[in-house]
Amino acid sequence: MTAGSAEVRDGVPYEDLEARAPVLVLGLGNLLLQDDGVGLRLLEAVSAREWDPAAVEFVDGGTQGLALLGYMAGRKLTLVLDAVGLGAAPGTVHQLRGAEIERLRAHRSTTAHEGNALELLATARLLGDEPEELVIVGIEPEQVRTGVGLSDAVSAQLATAAAMAVEVIRSQSKLQVPPCV
Amino acid sequence: MAKRIVVDPVTRIEGHLRVEAMLDDNNKIHDAMSSGTMWRGIEVILQGRDPRDAWAFCERICGVCTTVHALASVRCVENSLGIQVPPNADIIRNIMFLTQMVQDHVIHFYHLHALDWVDVVSALKADPAATAALAQKVAPKWALATPGYFSDTASTLKKFVESGQLGIFQNAYWGHPAYKLPPEANLMAVAHYLEALKWQKEVIKIHTIFGGKNPHPNYIVGGMAAPIAMQGDNVINMERLNMVRDLIQGAIHIVEDLYLPDLLAIASFYPEWTQIGGGLGNYMAYGDVPQAGIGDPSKFRFPRGVILNKKLDQVLPVDFADQSQIQEEIAHSWYTYPNGKTSLHPWEGVTEPKYTGPKPPYKELDENQAYSWLKAPRWKGNAMEVGPLSRMLVGFASGRSDFKEVVMDALGRLKVGPEALFSTLGRTAARGLESRLAVHWLLDEYNHLIDNLKNGDSTTADTRNWDPSTWKPESKGFGFTEAPRGALCHWIQIKDQKIANYQIVVPSTWNASPKDGKGQHGAYEAALIGTPMADPKRPVEILRTIHSFDPCLACASHVIGPDGETLAEIVVR
Repeated sequence: MTAGSAEVRDGVPYEDLEARAPVLVLGLGNLLLQDDGVGLRLLEAVSAREWDPAAVEFVDGGTQGLALLGYMAGRKLTLVLDAVGLGAAPGTVHQLRGAEIERLRAHRSTTAHEGNALELLATARLLGDEPEELVIVGIEPEQVRTGVGLSDAVSAQLATAAAMAVEVIRSQSKLQVPPCV
Repeated sequence: MAKRIVVDPVTRIEGHLRVEAMLDDNNKIHDAMSSGTMWRGIEVILQGRDPRDAWAFCERICGVCTTVHALASVRCVENSLGIQVPPNADIIRNIMFLTQMVQDHVIHFYHLHALDWVDVVSALKADPAATAALAQKVAPKWALATPGYFSDTASTLKKFVESGQLGIFQNAYWGHPAYKLPPEANLMAVAHYLEALKWQKEVIKIHTIFGGKNPHPNYIVGGMAAPIAMQGDNVINMERLNMVRDLIQGAIHIVEDLYLPDLLAIASFYPEWTQIGGGLGNYMAYGDVPQAGIGDPSKFRFPRGVILNKKLDQVLPVDFADQSQIQEEIAHSWYTYPNGKTSLHPWEGVTEPKYTGPKPPYKELDENQAYSWLKAPRWKGNAMEVGPLSRMLVGFASGRSDFKEVVMDALGRLKVGPEALFSTLGRTAARGLESRLAVHWLLDEYNHLIDNLKNGDSTTADTRNWDPSTWKPESKGFGFTEAPRGALCHWIQIKDQKIANYQIVVPSTWNASPKDGKGQHGAYEAALIGTPMADPKRPVEILRTIHSFDPCLACASHVIGPDGETLAEIVVR
């Protein structure tokens, strides 16, 4: 949990957002559905490097939706790591920003799945909790079936996607990180 | 010609639930089928694994409830290995359990269910001053009720709607004649919806404190992993515990002064819904919140029992180990059992898929064949409803004065009798009433923990049976809890220190179950039959009843993709 003492407002204590890490890295996905869990494998890979906890917070969001709303507010950058199915070849590494994410939002019914990241983002927007910048890095899945472990096509691209994620964080936070992945 | 309404998906949340409703000439539902359209079989993953790790996998089953599956899992392993956790472990588990229940119920009401009753678009027409007057009358103890506040809420909403991205508000039937609230009540509900959303982000930090992290808190077979002491830096110390107390006080304020008043106010506009959606009339609760160990259900805050045919003068006992009581049938499910068996107790349970349905995408399913990925769990052959209404009725029928008090108070304010509980609105009201009980129990449990710590007991785990060399070569057990959506149980068989079989019967499998071999409907199906539809093309009535159960099919898939999904299509056959 982020530091920051609670301020009681109308009988309810609220966290002080000033003390939050400016960068949130949110891994999403289901580890029990093979490639669906790739976002969490990416989270592992990226968070294993040395980061300043006051600058970057890593959260394993699983398949939760609204339950993650509490992590959203007060960020300069939120980087979502997830399986991204856009119909490309399995293993394709995607990086989505601004207009591309808006297009996804517009085309998809966000009410069908609470666990859907898009609903989380829509609700954050309603509350004014959106980050200044939102980036999604992910890999096109091959197998989304009951089972543990990634397909070969997705596994082969883990390092590339993790390096891309590190670059996104570094370019935003101007943090000193080791140069190699 | 008979009309068939297909609603797929029904849930605003995780999972794949499809409902097909058959209408008669007067647009009344005369038959209904509820289908889980996605294969789960998560249990298969657990076979052969270390039973002490099972909870961490189970926590990943569901896109909404993480902690209840972890709790049921550690309890089933402890039951199997004969481990009794120390009192503080039960208390911390109770605090986490009650926190999740209250948070989940408040979210369900405002975020997932209110849109079935509240017309968000109509809220834009409200007069802020009149809304303030209404709010002061409805929720007098909630301070935010000025014309300026509601005017700000209206402009937030307007901006959001005008951005062209209704997002969370799309897929509802705005302007449908079934919406009865005046614009001011709609605006008040929207404002309180925003307050509830902000609050729920905070209260769940109780899980982060006791579970180390969230949304996947840590559990351990034998107790809780949290090191706790009044003094100290890297432990749960008094500063953290004070924060828990403040969060609990805030939760009491939200439930008593916001949720309950809103619930009763909205309910008063929909009296006809105390006559609709009753369904089975069979209610089951496993019970939870132990006061003297999980082995003594007579001391649970949520009592255990079964009520059949709405008969509140008799509460029947439930036994998880009696293999003739809980069984899963597959007559209308896409599974196969060995040796031609048609029903199995979960200890002997088998999860072998056999899909015989039409090739997707299909127009309709055949109610005379297998039509669901859900099995049909039955208690002594009876279909059962589980969830808040079952828990409240079992508590009420068990003669518990705390349950009677909150139930009679609400019935009195709505000027209806106890029979009103057997309905869609009764289900929705029961969720609020149990939140009221739960939020005060939460403070009791907290105080109990502080007392124990002050008396020098800071033990949270018993690890004497942690080492597998202490285990019997073969054992079996069960672990139950009351998830927000209803009774949940995990059954395990351990052989040679590994999981030999693991079966989970989730609450939505009880409620969303298909028919069984005798043709008995599941709870959703039964609740829909008899419902009059004002406009079959916009089936808000179906959503009201199904959402009153807080549906959640436990398979959480999560891929971001560009495709849209239709909410309802009409098939005439």
